[in-house]
Amino acid sequence: MEPAALRIAVLVLTGVIVALLGVLLGAWWTPFFVGAAFGLIIRRPAVAIPLGTVSGLLAWLFPLAGAQLRYGLGPTSVSLAEIMGFDHQGTLPVVLTLLVGTLLGLTGAWLACAVGMIVRPQPR
Amino acid sequence: MASAPKRRPRIRPIINLVAAILVTGMVLFVAFFPAGPLPALGPAFNPTTGAWTMAADAQVGDQTLRLQGLRQPVSVVFESNGTAHITAQTDHDLFLATGYVHARFRLFQMDLMRRQGEGRLSEIVGKAALDTDRFELQLGLLRTAQTEWSQLSTSDASRDALIAYAQGVNDRIGEAESAHQLDAMFTLLGYRPQPWSPIDSLLVKGDMTQTLNFTDTPLVMALLNKSLGTDLTSEWFPVQPPNLQAPYDPGPYAKASTAPIETVTQLTDAEAQSAEALYQRLAALPPGLISQGGASNNWAVAGAKSVSGGALLAGDPHLHLTLPAIWFQLTMDSPGYHAAGVSIPGTPVVLIGHNEHIAWSLTDAQNQQTFFYNEKEDNAHPGMYFWNGAWQKYRTVGYDIPVHGGQAAHVDVRLSVHGPVITERGQATSVWWAGNLPSQDLGVLLRIGQAANYQQFRDALRDWHSPTHNFVYADDKGNIGLISAGYYPLVAHGQPWLPMPGTGENDVTGTIPYDQIPQVYNPPDNIIWSANQRQVKASYPYYIGTASNFFDPGYRADEIHRVLSRPGKLSASDMMALQTDTRDFLASEMVPVLLQTLAGTQLSAKESAAVAQLRGWDYRMDADSVAATIWNAFWSAYLDETFSPWWKSRAVPVGREEEGNSNKLDDALGQDLETWTLHDPANRAFSAPGVGSRTAPDAQKAAFQKAVAQLAQKLGGAPSSWSWGRVHARQLENLAHITGLNYGPRQDRGDANTPLAAGGFPSTHGPSWRMVVDWGARSFQGVYPGGQSENPASPWYTNRVDTWWSGLLDPMLSADAAASAAGVKKWSLRP
Repeated sequence: MEPAALRIAVLVLTGVIVALLGVLLGAWWTPFFVGAAFGLIIRRPAVAIPLGTVSGLLAWLFPLAGAQLRYGLGPTSVSLAEIMGFDHQGTLPVVLTLLVGTLLGLTGAWLACAVGMIVRPQPR
Repeated sequence: MASAPKRRPRIRPIINLVAAILVTGMVLFVAFFPAGPLPALGPAFNPTTGAWTMAADAQVGDQTLRLQGLRQPVSVVFESNGTAHITAQTDHDLFLATGYVHARFRLFQMDLMRRQGEGRLSEIVGKAALDTDRFELQLGLLRTAQTEWSQLSTSDASRDALIAYAQGVNDRIGEAESAHQLDAMFTLLGYRPQPWSPIDSLLVKGDMTQTLNFTDTPLVMALLNKSLGTDLTSEWFPVQPPNLQAPYDPGPYAKASTAPIETVTQLTDAEAQSAEALYQRLAALPPGLISQGGASNNWAVAGAKSVSGGALLAGDPHLHLTLPAIWFQLTMDSPGYHAAGVSIPGTPVVLIGHNEHIAWSLTDAQNQQTFFYNEKEDNAHPGMYFWNGAWQKYRTVGYDIPVHGGQAAHVDVRLSVHGPVITERGQATSVWWAGNLPSQDLGVLLRIGQAANYQQFRDALRDWHSPTHNFVYADDKGNIGLISAGYYPLVAHGQPWLPMPGTGENDVTGTIPYDQIPQVYNPPDNIIWSANQRQVKASYPYYIGTASNFFDPGYRADEIHRVLSRPGKLSASDMMALQTDTRDFLASEMVPVLLQTLAGTQLSAKESAAVAQLRGWDYRMDADSVAATIWNAFWSAYLDETFSPWWKSRAVPVGREEEGNSNKLDDALGQDLETWTLHDPANRAFSAPGVGSRTAPDAQKAAFQKAVAQLAQKLGGAPSSWSWGRVHARQLENLAHITGLNYGPRQDRGDANTPLAAGGFPSTHGPSWRMVVDWGARSFQGVYPGGQSENPASPWYTNRVDTWWSGLLDPMLSADAAASAAGVKKWSLRP
């Protein structure tokens, strides 16, 4: 593997782990800062933003998947859907939950990239 | 000379940055803050600490837990249906563990109940609850709970129980917060529960007192008096019931030395306006804050009349059917306290159940405990009222009400000698309510749990003041008893069923002596029953409330009495059958009269088919009964045919079917209609203004034709398809008003007059707990609709509903029997 690619792989893995640990400890907003870190470290938005997005998704997905394996989330997701007024549409809370994680990672990376494009010297 | 190239402005990065800031701002806003109906999405849906934790919370397994404040290890065994059996080595540990177990399964419910009582619902749901909070703070549950707590001596056993219970609740709050296992509703509403205090338990008790006992009936009577006139009001809403009823205490009664009750007189316009303003305010409050009619059954059969030879007891208190239910089933065992049955989460005792020697259940006694007083004020004496010949200064108490998403509100409560002033419009009206007097009910319940015979049971109830309840009793020696314990306020003179002058002459001066309140012990016919009916005959020497408006019409009691008084012995199975009895006593009286009226009348094909259904009907309101539908429609139309013209011509401002008042007015008017139909068919009520001269048969014919036409329009098809289940259903309502978490509506049997109470469309009130005890067989059975857990993802959320729906009961196991049953989970609680 090329050193640059290896560096990015390590970076991505670290970011996902940090985001996941944060979420597991209750700091649900961690993916936003991990995404922002990607945006600041990786200069190419086309790379940084997808990475931030995926890290946010994974950081919220893994604990949810763990809960599904341990307890089964069917009755819970249906109950949440009822509480939110979505009748028995149990998939909606799952989608909403993953969307929140994803958007946190995405916006963190996007905002950092956008700031970077303003403050960094532009290549001639 | 060529000019230097112009540098293009960097527009795209700026647009990109602005877009990123906007989108990020929006995402972070909805993640961190609630937006409209949505909670803050981040903490709410965080997969590890958000609402998803209800999945983990739904699991109950074998556990060892360490609780602060425990002195010795405690064992908790859960049956497969969730019933908890708590066994402790000290009384203190028993109450502490009970608090922990209650909070483990019902913390959100407990928090809602204390918030309702202390007027702090707005703090979590916003200004929508502000009127409720203002009213509660005015009424004074919080002041009463604080007074009750301050009156408990340090040596009082109930004080120790309340302190230990609060410690157990707080142990659970601490544990849930540190483990991120708070009920999902806390997460979704974005708040954390405050520590529990003994006063909170007293507030929960106060909530129940209010629900069962605070009435606006005098205001309704005032409006009726003003609009219908004094003659019709006193004739249609009399003190004594117009129909024949089955009081459980037939006397003879001891002589009383009270003044006779005066006749109704006309109210002034100002008094009527004041009553209307207050009535409208109370009618706008959410259900549950005003008592809305009674509906509960209990009875007992002495050993001499039972198949097993031991006394039988049955009880089914009828309350708002909610999910989670008002009840939590458990057994509590310690050296000083053994009781099994149902408790109200938030309180440390068994309210209905049994111990090793006695069993008890209760129904609401329905006597008048709420009195309204018009305070005399004038401009020359601001902030004062005239009482006992002198101007008195109001005492004022101020409260701040935190409001979620808004500014805190402030309410000043003025207190006269009668109680809080709860309206200011036109006329200051204060309310004297027995629920505002300290009543150490929890101490009474502790002593009941420890009683071994009727004398001890009766002695304990001497201190029960409010809400007044019919406590039925049966013991392991074959004895039975019933005592309607509580305060029966007596006024010096005046018309207590109306708002009275607050100048002192009409004040409450005392209560009926305990030995003279309604009660029986081992009656000669070996049966006792109560179903919110008036407990005594007309010869009872005290005023205890108007028959029409405070007490039940008596049809459930009539039916229960009819079944129990049949020759032969009774068994526990008979008790179960009677609890789910769907025979409508009123229908059994009225339908034969209707059929006689219709005989020889020209009828349409549909009307003839409807008559055919009524012929041979057994008067049971079963879901597949067509006659039940026709009867119900007829009775409603008959009431309408008789009374609507009066309501219209006299512009009566209270609807006949409004839920706001204590009982629907139609319940009272129905007793009149029943009596006139049977004994006075030419009563002037049938000849209302605008309808000409009529008799009961005329009104019946018109009502029957209208009923059939309405059913044909509503249900269509042949009358044979008009089954009761098509129009009548039952629903269990989620306590947080989340309709998706309701159970039903589901077709169901019964109506408001049947022992299986199911009034309403859909019916949302009914038997909230059914219990049958047979001391001869030492068999104890019970069930309530719902489940032990408030978590909708838990298998214990609705797991008891089907058993309850089908009229079956679950065995109430002892702790020892439960420990060896299949599928149990065991907790070991350690210091």
